[in-house]
Amino acid sequence: MSNTLKASSSGFTGAASRLITLWALLGGGVLLLVVAVNMLSIIGSVFGTPFPGDFELTEMGVAIAVFAFLPYCQLVGANVSADIFTAGASRRVIAFFTLLGSLVALVFALLLIWRMYYGMLDQKDYDYTTTILQIPHWMAFVPILISLALLALAALVTLLQDMTALSRGHH
Amino acid sequence: ADYEFKLHHFLGEKAPAHTQMLVPWAKQVEENSGGKVHIEIYPAMTLGGRPPELINQVRDGVVDLVWTVNGYTPGLFPRTEVFELPGIHTNDPAATNQALMDLYETDLKDEYKGVEVMFLHVHAGQAIHMRDTEVHSPEDLAGKKIRIPTRTGAWVIEALGASPVAMPVPELPPALQKGVIDGAFIPWEIIPPLKIQEQTEYQIEGVDKERFGTTTFQVSMNQERWNGLPEDIQKAFRDASGPEWIVKVGEIWAASDDFGIGLATKAGNTHITLTEEETEAFRQALAPVADRWVEEVSAKGIDGAALVEKARAAVASHSAN
Amino acid sequence: MTDALVLGLGALVVLIALIAIRMPIAYAMILVGGVGTMMLNGPALVLSQLKTLAYGQFSIYDLSVVPMFVLMGAIASKTGLSQALFRGANAWLGWLRGGTAMAAIAGCAGFGAVCGSSLATASTMGKVALPELKRYNYSGALATGTLAAGGVLGILIPPSVVLIIYAIIVEANIVTMFMAAFLPGLLAVVLFLLTIALYVTIKPEAGPKGGVADRKEFLEATAGMIPVLIIFGLVIGGIYFGFFNPTPAAAVGVFLVLLFGLLQRKLSGHDFIQALKETASTSGMIYLIILGAELLKIFMSRVGLPQETASWIANSGLEPMTVLILLLIALILLGCLMDSLSMILLVIPFFWPVLVEINGGIYQGAEGAGFGMSTEDLKIWFGVLALIVVELGLITPPVGMNVFVISSLDRETPMIETFKGVAPFFCAEILRVILLVCFPIITLWLPQVLR
Ligand code: NA
Ligand code: NA
Repeated sequence: MSNTLKASSSGFTGAASRLITLWALLGGGVLLLVVAVNMLSIIGSVFGTPFPGDFELTEMGVAIAVFAFLPYCQLVGANVSADIFTAGASRRVIAFFTLLGSLVALVFALLLIWRMYYGMLDQKDYDYTTTILQIPHWMAFVPILISLALLALAALVTLLQDMTALSRGHH
Repeated sequence: ADYEFKLHHFLGEKAPAHTQMLVPWAKQVEENSGGKVHIEIYPAMTLGGRPPELINQVRDGVVDLVWTVNGYTPGLFPRTEVFELPGIHTNDPAATNQALMDLYETDLKDEYKGVEVMFLHVHAGQAIHMRDTEVHSPEDLAGKKIRIPTRTGAWVIEALGASPVAMPVPELPPALQKGVIDGAFIPWEIIPPLKIQEQTEYQIEGVDKERFGTTTFQVSMNQERWNGLPEDIQKAFRDASGPEWIVKVGEIWAASDDFGIGLATKAGNTHITLTEEETEAFRQALAPVADRWVEEVSAKGIDGAALVEKARAAVASHSAN
Repeated sequence: MTDALVLGLGALVVLIALIAIRMPIAYAMILVGGVGTMMLNGPALVLSQLKTLAYGQFSIYDLSVVPMFVLMGAIASKTGLSQALFRGANAWLGWLRGGTAMAAIAGCAGFGAVCGSSLATASTMGKVALPELKRYNYSGALATGTLAAGGVLGILIPPSVVLIIYAIIVEANIVTMFMAAFLPGLLAVVLFLLTIALYVTIKPEAGPKGGVADRKEFLEATAGMIPVLIIFGLVIGGIYFGFFNPTPAAAVGVFLVLLFGLLQRKLSGHDFIQALKETASTSGMIYLIILGAELLKIFMSRVGLPQETASWIANSGLEPMTVLILLLIALILLGCLMDSLSMILLVIPFFWPVLVEINGGIYQGAEGAGFGMSTEDLKIWFGVLALIVVELGLITPPVGMNVFVISSLDRETPMIETFKGVAPFFCAEILRVILLVCFPIITLWLPQVLR
């Protein structure tokens, strides 16, 4: 029973990790597009045809990219923490502390999905657009909500890992 | 005090908009209420978020009051935008402010969903600042890279045959200095805080201080908060924001504009006032901007042509001459 | 003291406790800021603000340079640029006693010119220079200490992520800050080189002379440094001389290192994916901290703690210099608890209003100012000082991230040896802070000239 659970959870963990990593790389792709937009804008202004939309595309693109990075960040534990005060603590205690961190991440991700969904509806209802190109802002919220769902998934994965570590205690 | 309000805005606490407009207004409200109202002003986005979020913040009740630029959220106030167009606001912010409030009652009210407008106003109007180009006709601007304030501002620049460049205001001084842009469309009042006189040689405006469009601002309260206030408190706010105040706001912005251009001329800059004929050439060149706007807003079911006429007439009725 | 202030101080204690039990700093800020504001003004307010707060913070135009400079550094570390830098520097300096360590410092400085982060510089140059230092029989302490300290140059020499964040908080011009950091960065390089010279004078066995390169090797190695000079010249030079704003400049930087990597045929598809992953984890971490700091700022503004602190210190009757030095010491101490970015985001909103107040207000000119300089200059000067002291935390115990990074690259040298090796560089840094405090002109000269 416990073995099958573990096997399925590790299959689940593996699939989730791949998905999250792929999503972060897509975010990296968006960042590269932002780089390209800025390069085009420079080239354009050298030849006398500046591209006034570069500014808002940069803002929007970077926001989308960074949200896509958050799940990966959670997954690989890139969020900085101070471990000096607990350096002497037992592995069980440390596992408990990191579990708390994963829990906060999970709750925060779920909260943001809920709130930013309404944020998206607001942008739609009130017709928020960028200044020059008049791109509707709600469009950016779609990939962002997916990123937040993956952040919740990543937090769940790390939470399961912490729970395993906590139950083993000595490992 | 019995009624506490938080007023949130995006400029620093030394900006004239803060010291000369918002602080005196808040004081007046407090005084009118006999001390029952206290308004705490939070400048420079101290209560969090970015300037475009101010309107959501007041609508959602995150703060009670905001002062914000309508153009930060393009698409939200399409009717009010008529006052940004060249040829509507000309040279008297007090007159335009009054016209704004007239049309607010008849035409604009519906677009301020979820907020109770205290007052609307404009700045003294977009003028031309150039690095090293003397401008007397639209042709002088052909091909120049000009920084734009709003989407209607972009249309103004395109109509003049120049290239619009979008950039945040703080980037303006280095961009001007190094020739990343050749000029900017902004009022004179921005000269002192950004030291624009050091990066430009020419300040250009139309005959009799005529400008090329302006920007609209609002001071608004959360709707529920407003609805929950007793009549005497509402009256305290209304009395502080009446016609006299609206005129005063126009004078305040005109004065800080005069201060700005004074600083520039004292620094040796050339202040060009176009002749009537030269100004007329700009008016002709800019005429299509209003048409473009009318066409644009018709997609939203707005009778833009009628609004343009009304706005123009309202400004004229309040102008001194 | 009002109830709100008590709540604010209590929240700071909780924040420190959460950080102490390994809560990621970003989440500790989010939790304390969010829950604190909920306790103060009710949950509805926070829930409303969360609808757009994160999107607003992540789409700040000025911040967009951060992920781009991170990407630029990540790609640069895979392109062989670091090897070329070290080889070039070693050709010039290797013949000296301690010369290979000096070359490592010079290499770090060069890499810092294209990379905005300290850890990335330490690990990239560490991988390149550590084996060489070992080959020439450098002592473990000097070898690892040099690289841990040299890594700090990644952030002291523009571009610098921490400096960008500082500029945004105090509303300084990023370009001006980059100009201001340049000479102090060079001063750090000079002092680090002198430190090594002094070190090997006292302990000659720690840093033997390297092999003298022949003429052909010398010329080749020197030529190898040219790409870095070009990239730095175009990107940072382009910013200094106003050809472009920081964001397009960073885009040019990414493009150039990518081009360099492809021309060198050193950048494989795998390397590129790896660089993107590094960018994802570093940028995600930075932005999450920014969001946490914004939530905390909202809470602190609502309780009025920064305003209270500013007026309390301003009315304490302390000399401006005393206050400045106390603030710098506080930053060094906080370095035990937090990373540099979190510190800047958490502390500068408290510290900066204090200094403005003491100096005589935001529009104070040089005449009659508390610090004898205009508030605009104070902003620049203090930013560079703060940058240095928050980065000191990277090389001091108990948590010295650079030391950890280098230690993980060199399992033979115990960490305590690395901390010992880093100690002289720490002293050099303190000397530098003193010099910069006594002679503000070192910081302020370049922005004045280039303005
Ligand atoms: Na750097
Ligand atoms: Na430390």
